Amino acid sequence: MITTKKITKKYGDFTALDQLSLNVKPGEIYCLLGANGAGKSTTINLVLGFINPTSGEALINGKSVFKNNIETKKDIAYIPENLMLYPTLTAMENLDYFSGIGGQKLKKDQLESLLIQSGLQPEAFYKRTNAFSKGMRQKVGIAIAIAKQAKALLLDEPTSGLDPKASNEFGELLQELKGNGVATLMATHDLFRAKEIATHIGIMKSGKLKQQFTASDISLPQLEKAYLDTMNYKELAK
Amino acid sequence: MFTYNFKYELKLLLRSSWIQLLTLLLLLLFVFASYNGKQKVDKRTADITSAQTVVDTSDKETLSILLAIEKGEDLNLSPWVTPTSPINIGNQNPRVAAMPANEMAFMSVGQSDIYTHYVLPKVSGDDFALNLSEMASPIQLLFGSFDLAFVVVYLLPLIVIAFSYNVLSEERERGSLKLLASQPISIRKWVFQKIGIRMFWISIMVLLATTVAFLLNDIKSFDGYVLFFVTCVIYMLFWFGLTFAVNIQIGKSTQNAFVLLGFWIVFVLLIPSIINQVSDVLYPVPSRNQLINEMREHKSEAEKKQDQILDNFLRDHPEYAVNNDANSKSFWHSYMASQKIVKEELQPLLSEFDNNLAKRQKWVNKLQWLSPAILVQQDLNTRAGTSKADYENYRQQILNFSNEWRDYFMPLLYNNQVFTSEHFSKLPIFQYKSDKSIINGYRLWGVLLLTSIVLVIVIITYKLRTKKEYSIIQ
Repeated sequence: MITTKKITKKYGDFTALDQLSLNVKPGEIYCLLGANGAGKSTTINLVLGFINPTSGEALINGKSVFKNNIETKKDIAYIPENLMLYPTLTAMENLDYFSGIGGQKLKKDQLESLLIQSGLQPEAFYKRTNAFSKGMRQKVGIAIAIAKQAKALLLDEPTSGLDPKASNEFGELLQELKGNGVATLMATHDLFRAKEIATHIGIMKSGKLKQQFTASDISLPQLEKAYLDTMNYKELAK
Repeated sequence: MFTYNFKYELKLLLRSSWIQLLTLLLLLLFVFASYNGKQKVDKRTADITSAQTVVDTSDKETLSILLAIEKGEDLNLSPWVTPTSPINIGNQNPRVAAMPANEMAFMSVGQSDIYTHYVLPKVSGDDFALNLSEMASPIQLLFGSFDLAFVVVYLLPLIVIAFSYNVLSEERERGSLKLLASQPISIRKWVFQKIGIRMFWISIMVLLATTVAFLLNDIKSFDGYVLFFVTCVIYMLFWFGLTFAVNIQIGKSTQNAFVLLGFWIVFVLLIPSIINQVSDVLYPVPSRNQLINEMREHKSEAEKKQDQILDNFLRDHPEYAVNNDANSKSFWHSYMASQKIVKEELQPLLSEFDNNLAKRQKWVNKLQWLSPAILVQQDLNTRAGTSKADYENYRQQILNFSNEWRDYFMPLLYNNQVFTSEHFSKLPIFQYKSDKSIINGYRLWGVLLLTSIVLVIVIITYKLRTKKEYSIIQ
């Protein structure tokens, strides 16, 4: 379970995140929507413990991220917007390395199975990742996340730059993980994808969570209108 | 984490063309530098052998002449060359007072391109302390010698910096740091391990390069081999400590590179240079020209009153006056007496020269702790037998031997004895004894101490900082 309690992050006078509280239960996918600078990535970074909050708290399965940073990371898998791997290592080696330093010792067949599960083509398994497309790298990232058997998944704009097919495959994988009881918090600009995969959607602006919906209670046009209204894009909303 | 870091860091290093190039460069530098050092040692050995050959040939001729004279043959020789005159033997058949190179001399030229390695002390010669320095090419003195010590002290830190300046910043700039930091690991520990593994890698390369260098030069000293490698590792430890500190404190690769190069300039160039300049100001050594001029003046004065000097000398040394009468006084009797007076009169100036050199060395020894480069250079010089202390030891031995040489002939001269083949067989022999007490490991402990200080400062700085992982990840 991913929880934030009135979490605030300030950089001098600038408030990047203002008293954000949210709760993502196991088997839920929470999509954070918002323009650039709305505070989506700051939220993800705070939950990961990459940055310290000015006030408030982030919890993973009830444990404070800031007090038990390394301990809570055992339960977190993370896929950044632009996932970069070691270019001179193969997909298998990258997966083995990132899983291994996290404490997961996997055999060759287990590694292959994870890459198959992530949707990577088998002929790419033993190729160096320097020539991999963003979609292929994301798939290796997903394999790393699955290998970790994490209870919480944090995604920062994971589908940006992916072609529709790769984006669709990515969505399907998230649904699989959701079925396994993983709590997912995803920051995205992609309203369509959010509506398609999320169980809950939040719209952020200027570091504040302005609106929250249960995805099944709202249609895509309604979501789009709510988003544009929140952003004050009145002309577009009409 | 360590097993995976070790396995994959080695794979990454082996697959990096940049690292392959650096490794090759390291090997080439070691091999070339050791070859260069060996060439100098070979030249030094050849010079000593050549001088010894000349002396041996001369001895053989002299002995055959002596034996012929003793058999009653009349060779009709000039009194200035006849070997029955003790002074002629003392001047024309000197011994080679050589300082042979030790087996490890190839690794550090040290002071050996400034000082000579053999002298031929003559009974009527000047003070040999003044004749120890050799004519050397000013260009070579300016740039130093390209030996193993140069590669270790000056270039190895640059290779360490090139290997590890961007361990963390590279991850950040490539974009893989966040994925890495999302794993349940301490990034500081991860950086520490990565730098440790890179140090292990370079150590293996240095070991390989050292082995090749020693084998090519046919160096059989296993102790020397091990100690040289240990010195390199300890010195690298200091530089890796610095790169660790910079990696976790500073953000960008270019900044890291500049800061580390700054440290290199300070520790390798600035501190040694400043210590040298300040020691020149604090403890100036009288000029050699001044010494030589004063010596000439004193000699000139002494020559004017040689008869009086000889009388005084014989009064002070009645043992030499036993067979003395007016007819037996020769040029050499007066000359040798005047030499002693000249030496006594020059003593204050020589002492000042020696004292200031000693004070200066003491001061430099105190300040050597400021720079690991000085400590390692001094350590390698002492192991190679080319340190200032080694040459001072050699100079003292030459002074003692020249006195011994002179003392052997003085009674023969003043007793007007004929030099015989029996005297010839009893001529003093010079045997250089290296001073083992010069070599000790305290300088290497000093480098370890400096490394510890760097790491303690890093830890304290980190503890004092309120920002934690954030500063590393962003």
